Amino acid sequence: MEPPIYYSKAEFIETDTGNKVSRRATIAGPQNIILGGKTIISTGAIIRGDLRRTGPGHAVVISLGRYCLVGEGCVMRPPYKTYRGNFNYYPMKIGDHVHIGANSVVEAAQIGNHVEIGKNCVIGKFTIIKDCAKIADNTIIPPNTVVPALSLFAGNPGRFVEDLPESTQEMVEAQTKQYYTRFQPLER
Amino acid sequence: MPPSVRYHCPCLSNSPFPPPPHLASSSYSFHPLHELFFCEECDAVRCNRCVTVEVSSYYCPNCLFEVPSASVRAEKNRCARNCFLCPNCRNTLSVVPSDPPDSGDGRLAVPVSSLNEPPFFLYCNHCRWDSAEVGITFEKPTGLAAQLQKFEDSAPDSLEFERLKEHFEPFIRASSLSSSTNLSHPAAHPSSAAHSHHAHSTSITAAASAALAREIPGVSKYNPLSRSTSSRSTTGKDRSVNKDEMTEYRSRLEISKASVSGSGGGETDVEFMRHLEDIGQVATLEQRWVNSWATPLQTRELKPLRIPLHSKRSKRCPACTHILIKPEQKAQSVRYKIKLVAANYLPAITVALPHAQRLMTELAKKSLGKSTSAAAADDDKSSLSDMHAGKTYPFHLALSNPLYDPITVRLSVQRMHVSTAPSTKESGSPEKARRPPFAVSLPTSSFSVAAFAEAWEYEDDEDMFGADDSEDLPGRGGRETDAKGKVRTVGVLEKRANVTLVGGEVVIGKEARGNVKFNMLVSYTYRSDDPSPEGNEADEPSKSPSKAGPEVKTFAFYTVVDLGQIIPREEPKADSEL
Repeated sequence: MEPPIYYSKAEFIETDTGNKVSRRATIAGPQNIILGGKTIISTGAIIRGDLRRTGPGHAVVISLGRYCLVGEGCVMRPPYKTYRGNFNYYPMKIGDHVHIGANSVVEAAQIGNHVEIGKNCVIGKFTIIKDCAKIADNTIIPPNTVVPALSLFAGNPGRFVEDLPESTQEMVEAQTKQYYTRFQPLER
Repeated sequence: MPPSVRYHCPCLSNSPFPPPPHLASSSYSFHPLHELFFCEECDAVRCNRCVTVEVSSYYCPNCLFEVPSASVRAEKNRCARNCFLCPNCRNTLSVVPSDPPDSGDGRLAVPVSSLNEPPFFLYCNHCRWDSAEVGITFEKPTGLAAQLQKFEDSAPDSLEFERLKEHFEPFIRASSLSSSTNLSHPAAHPSSAAHSHHAHSTSITAAASAALAREIPGVSKYNPLSRSTSSRSTTGKDRSVNKDEMTEYRSRLEISKASVSGSGGGETDVEFMRHLEDIGQVATLEQRWVNSWATPLQTRELKPLRIPLHSKRSKRCPACTHILIKPEQKAQSVRYKIKLVAANYLPAITVALPHAQRLMTELAKKSLGKSTSAAAADDDKSSLSDMHAGKTYPFHLALSNPLYDPITVRLSVQRMHVSTAPSTKESGSPEKARRPPFAVSLPTSSFSVAAFAEAWEYEDDEDMFGADDSEDLPGRGGRETDAKGKVRTVGVLEKRANVTLVGGEVVIGKEARGNVKFNMLVSYTYRSDDPSPEGNEADEPSKSPSKAGPEVKTFAFYTVVDLGQIIPREEPKADSEL
């Protein structure tokens, strides 16, 4: 019932699997990025697939599931650390039905399914966000934080606020699917 | 704020009718649909305020370890592994090794924390607090809790707590025994039943309050004789015998001498305050109040906190104690063994204001191509849904049917509703005194909403937009279609899949202000050939409140519809009366 969200047809590239990627997004190292299908990469987003693990061979740096949304101006950057004297980047895994609000910076190691991240958030390095969690707008999640399933985190630093309702999974799933349906091209 | 529909749960009052929506307190009786549960046994809506909750498992929110309930009590509800909270900002602490010795050329040979060198300490990634500040370091990076255990166990607060626990142990054991007998024969002990729902909690509360009555008025000022008689007269009754057997508790530490033995307070604090240079040296209230014992006044005395455990909970119906929610045992699983949520039983209703939607769409088209500034767009959106006093606005209600059978729905505004709910008068009379400054018209006849079918769940239901207009039900007013194809009328506007869109209309008075908010009764009837259409073990058709036929069930519930704010007007461009 919600009104459509229009985008200009010239701006977005639609792939065979239904991914919609803005031409104005910065996609570095696209060969290292996996999009699950029906995922939207908005204007101005920056996805750093070029920051790969050192070593030979093919490496997946960032993988996104189905029905994801990378909001306007988001930065997706794989986490890095120096372990036993060696500097390295580590892959970032994101599940299905994950929405990331505008202007958020994500350096998480793992984001589960049905996760909502608000606007203007900072998700610190190696953060693990479990299924159906929600990060409120303007939240700063410090590095190495674990966000348990079905919990709402907010604040600076992000802290547990409350448990989310049992039907969160269905709600988020319906919402992300609807968002994709609403995201319609407009010929100009 | 966008227009919203919330559902009524009657648990807060004895009347089945919801409170008038203009009262601020009415919001406590209404909940979003997805937060509600549905008890099949009672055929009633339940909310988080009325369900009974029990813990089904405990886990640490940081390491996600599932703590067996036996060790939960022993660990004082906190994680006994490597999880600590920063005492400064409540962030999770991480274990870091010390920096390697300086090579002497002015810069570090290898980046910080790259080599595993003892001693290890806890470090906050957010506020940069580290445990070395308070003199806590570790020889190895594992089993930190065990390494800290001996310090914790020797702390005065845990010693005192152990002593208290020891002191009350025989009493709690005795009273839990007696309460379990009370539970099995609730009628035999009317006094304890009247005390509280739960006999077990009563005994513990009684023990705690008795202890408080003894300890709070002062350690030595009170006469023990008068105390025991007063406790007998107030809380005693059937358990006063038990209480008299208790010996008097003597604390480990005399509280008046606490400041001398280094727990702060009195002269020591004054001295500290006198030499204060920076407000950050004093621990904030938030940093202090989680500590049960004498709370450290100085920031540099704060100790890392072990992370409190979280729990997964199952929920029961308060009336019939049937389980509504039962989570899977695994801590991070989001699946449920039993999940009776209202969204699977009641039709979901969404409300929209077509005039706002149209403007929004145009705005979205216009702003396209320009650099999008999110803040400005949000401002516009909120003002778009405003309604001006003295005008008439249509609104759309979309009802989607979660059942596998078609339903027939009838909508009515609460105060106009007299025929099927006769006692509406009682809520109707105060309404008369303060009539809302707007009038709502809804489709008066019932309409159908098609059954939910998995086939319609296919992702692109955009193709399903072909509206089925053949079954058009007589609504009020004629149908007139404007340029955009939207129908401006009261009645059924569109049917597709398991969603039916109906139109309503609100006439806002010239002097109106506040929100357009009204209670709406939704009653729906569903026909089923199958005696248990929900396919669950507890469904019994005979339990439904009113039966028109052998296979027809009716269920009614209240909602509150909030259409948004009315903009008061000086010179009304009225096209309506009232």
